[in-house]
Amino acid sequence: MKYETVIGLEVHVELLTESKFFCACPNHFAAEPNVNTCPGCLGFPGILPQLNKVAVQKALTAALALNCEIALFSYFDRKNYFYPDLSKGYQISQFHVPIGSNGYLDLEDDQGLLKRVRIGRVHMEEDAGKLVHSPAGDTSLVDYNRAGVPLIEVVTEPDLRSPGEAKRYLEKLKSILQYSSVSDCKMEEGSLRCDANISLRPVGSDTLGSKTELKNMNSFKAVEKSLEHEIKRQRAILNSGDEVVSQTLRWEENSQETIVMRGKLQAHDYRCFVDPELAPIQLTIEEVEEARQNLPEMAEARAARFVKDYKLPGYDAAVLTASRSLADYFESCLAIYDNPKAACNWIMGEFTARLNSAGIEVDRCPFTPHFMAELLKMIDDGLISGKLAKEVLDQSIASGKSPSQIVEKENLTQISDHGELEKIIRQMIAEHPDSVENYHGGKTKALGFLVGQVMKETKGKANPQLVNELLLKTLEG
Amino acid sequence: MNLKTISAGRIADKVNRGELKARDLAEIVLQNARELNNKLNIFCSIAGAEALEQASAVDQKIEAGICLPLAGVPLAVKDNFMYKALPTTLGSSQFKSFYPPYNAAAVDKLIAAGAVVVGKTNVDNMGIGSTTLDSPQGPTLNPGDLQKVAGSAGAAALAAGICSLALESDSGGALLQGASHCGVFGLLPSAGLVSRHGLAVHSGSFCRAGVSALFPEDLPVALKVISGYDPRDAVTAACREVNTRRDKTDDLSNLVVGYLETLSGSAADPRRNLVKDTLNRIAALGIRKAAVQLKHLPEALRAHQVIAAAEASSSLLRYDGIRYGQAIEAEDLELLYRKTRRATFNGEALNRSIFGTYFLSKDGYNRYYRQALKVWTLIREELKTVFEQCDLLLMPVVRTGPFLASGETAYSDLLENDLFTVPVSMAGNPALCLPAGDINGLPVGLQLIGKQFEDAFLLSAALKIAPAIISDLQGFNGGGN
Repeated sequence: MKYETVIGLEVHVELLTESKFFCACPNHFAAEPNVNTCPGCLGFPGILPQLNKVAVQKALTAALALNCEIALFSYFDRKNYFYPDLSKGYQISQFHVPIGSNGYLDLEDDQGLLKRVRIGRVHMEEDAGKLVHSPAGDTSLVDYNRAGVPLIEVVTEPDLRSPGEAKRYLEKLKSILQYSSVSDCKMEEGSLRCDANISLRPVGSDTLGSKTELKNMNSFKAVEKSLEHEIKRQRAILNSGDEVVSQTLRWEENSQETIVMRGKLQAHDYRCFVDPELAPIQLTIEEVEEARQNLPEMAEARAARFVKDYKLPGYDAAVLTASRSLADYFESCLAIYDNPKAACNWIMGEFTARLNSAGIEVDRCPFTPHFMAELLKMIDDGLISGKLAKEVLDQSIASGKSPSQIVEKENLTQISDHGELEKIIRQMIAEHPDSVENYHGGKTKALGFLVGQVMKETKGKANPQLVNELLLKTLEG
Repeated sequence: MNLKTISAGRIADKVNRGELKARDLAEIVLQNARELNNKLNIFCSIAGAEALEQASAVDQKIEAGICLPLAGVPLAVKDNFMYKALPTTLGSSQFKSFYPPYNAAAVDKLIAAGAVVVGKTNVDNMGIGSTTLDSPQGPTLNPGDLQKVAGSAGAAALAAGICSLALESDSGGALLQGASHCGVFGLLPSAGLVSRHGLAVHSGSFCRAGVSALFPEDLPVALKVISGYDPRDAVTAACREVNTRRDKTDDLSNLVVGYLETLSGSAADPRRNLVKDTLNRIAALGIRKAAVQLKHLPEALRAHQVIAAAEASSSLLRYDGIRYGQAIEAEDLELLYRKTRRATFNGEALNRSIFGTYFLSKDGYNRYYRQALKVWTLIREELKTVFEQCDLLLMPVVRTGPFLASGETAYSDLLENDLFTVPVSMAGNPALCLPAGDINGLPVGLQLIGKQFEDAFLLSAALKIAPAIISDLQGFNGGGN
């Protein structure tokens, strides 16, 4: 039988705020456990929650960017359950009235056609702490650094039809949330987490099959892989005439398979009720409209502008605008350097390759847009060769020093002095008489060999164009 | 010095003028507290060096020319307010040695105003209750009758002459009922007027901080010290907004005092006569009476029980022994939770955890919790209507006298006794319990209720009315000022 895949995603995104949702503790990733804590986020008696209004603002921005209807009046509920990483025994969340609902996101389906994925709700909640298990498995420690960090949960309707669509949805969502400064969406630091619900049904059927929930995917690729794996598994079950058991599965990255995490999907009774310690959130139409006006230019619009204003090819513009930080990097560089195509080539090529291999984020790279502009100018001015520039780029990324500092210190400036170069050329001609003979015999390849020898002698610092020119003159003259 | 014959205001005057050293007073008071505590079981802990240091600091400030509104005033603090210097037991054996890392806002403000913390007063388990029968150290005894409970240990500390002010909490009547049983003045300020930061809140909707005193004129001073906006308690934002509130009564003949036309209970109930007598006495001052109705009184009591239980079942979840308090070791986490929480809670805290969990469950939410929220709206609306007919409402505080200290009281009677105090808890109005007479040799109070945030008006009117009410109260050592 032919089956149709039905996928819905639940994405948790940490909001980019200075402090936590309900206390003044810093909201940033910390390696040292329990440094970002206070009696409030540790759930001590007598501490009442203090709402971080910036977090509400970010959630509002996200809901608007995802085309949601905004609830002018919403409130926080308590979701009650016991777990050691939950310091108060309940999570402050929005259960009854989410800040955003009935939104959507447009993306390309597998046939390349535009499709609309409905977003059921965007709600605010606080994050829990993290359990750290000892390798021997005999003790568990709790790190509350993350407890109380503001989150939004973005829940789609079951509108996605393939693992590829799911991946594209996540990429698009990430781009939108990054562009609107709602979140940095770093899956490896846990600031974006995704759970997937998936079921199969016979093509043409409009009832949903019984679904499983997938957890523990650490990258978009893993989301795609785990869904592909799950489709195969469910299809095999259905083809053999059995029923898919509704359960929670855990994706194992190492073995590339899913294992059962929890048995039957049981509806846990979280006993949600309005948190009596927090005032309701009352937004005005003016506030919402202002936030809507302040939504930034998103990736697609920016790419179109890059094509129009900077005359970049569509492909290049798309690559540069895939993340807001890279696009910002490009435009910061252009503020002091006026050749968009050259900047684009270097940023997309050499720069991005080095970031990827070193695993550094654009916005945390010591090689600033200013440095990039400096480097490109030095190439344009003939001070360094393209080859040398790559070396300078390496050193600058490693040391944090500016390209001009490095060039000066390492004495890397290109040799463009005619006298000096002619001297070396004469020496090379004297050392390789057979090559000279070959050249005169019509073998033009010999010229390349001789240029190479000059470059070698100058440790690559000679201006290659000039060497070529002078060598020809000497040989012909 | 007999604290029963001198108001907190007078003590502060003497200390401010240098006629009395706060430190000398503190030494006497602490000695007195230790002696009387053996008899009455008032304190969970009595201060020592910390109190003397506080008193010396007050003396130094006075010498430096600084005047303090509560200079040297001996203060009792209920043991569900965080106070760094002494353990905060929350009425639980698992918190015997819990030293919180911070002070409650009200505690900080009172100390800054010159008050000296004498000790932490006995409290029902997790601060839930109005008898102290659910305290691991047993109930605080009523200074007027050692067979009975005091209801509030802070009120007992006042009635016994150990302290001049008591910092109290209330979520359904503990503050007012304790004041009634002990014959002292108890003020439950408007919801949102006093910061609850550092009060172990088990019901965000109903828990409030308040203050009791031996002399009514001390209440406005104490209220001024502890009230005001505090960003650490979101609901106090409301107290900044209104600026057109009445704050004093100039002419009593303009005042209309409402009373409940129909009171449940038998016609021979001495409490019914108490309200009638009191009304007659204050009518003699020129005050007009107005009969009003609170039809939803019985439903309000039930609704309060449901909502308070629901909120407690959630708020008490944090007490799992993992981050603070004592955990009971067990072979696995589940067992650790069970053992620790079983040892942490008892009595009403345990009942509310169980009932509240049910009220919020899929099964109970619509049937009980949602219904209770509706009743909550009704009683709020009803009280609003009442205050369209009168300026103040005079009502009983308790249905019966204090319960037996032996604990031989039916659970239903304990619950029913909150009948007259829950409307105020639910509607957020300020209420003042003032001693109005005595029944069977024990003092009984009545409450005057005002409009929300008209606390100053309520106190001003009460101060004018009080002499007419308490003139012939047996055993009340009035005078003072």
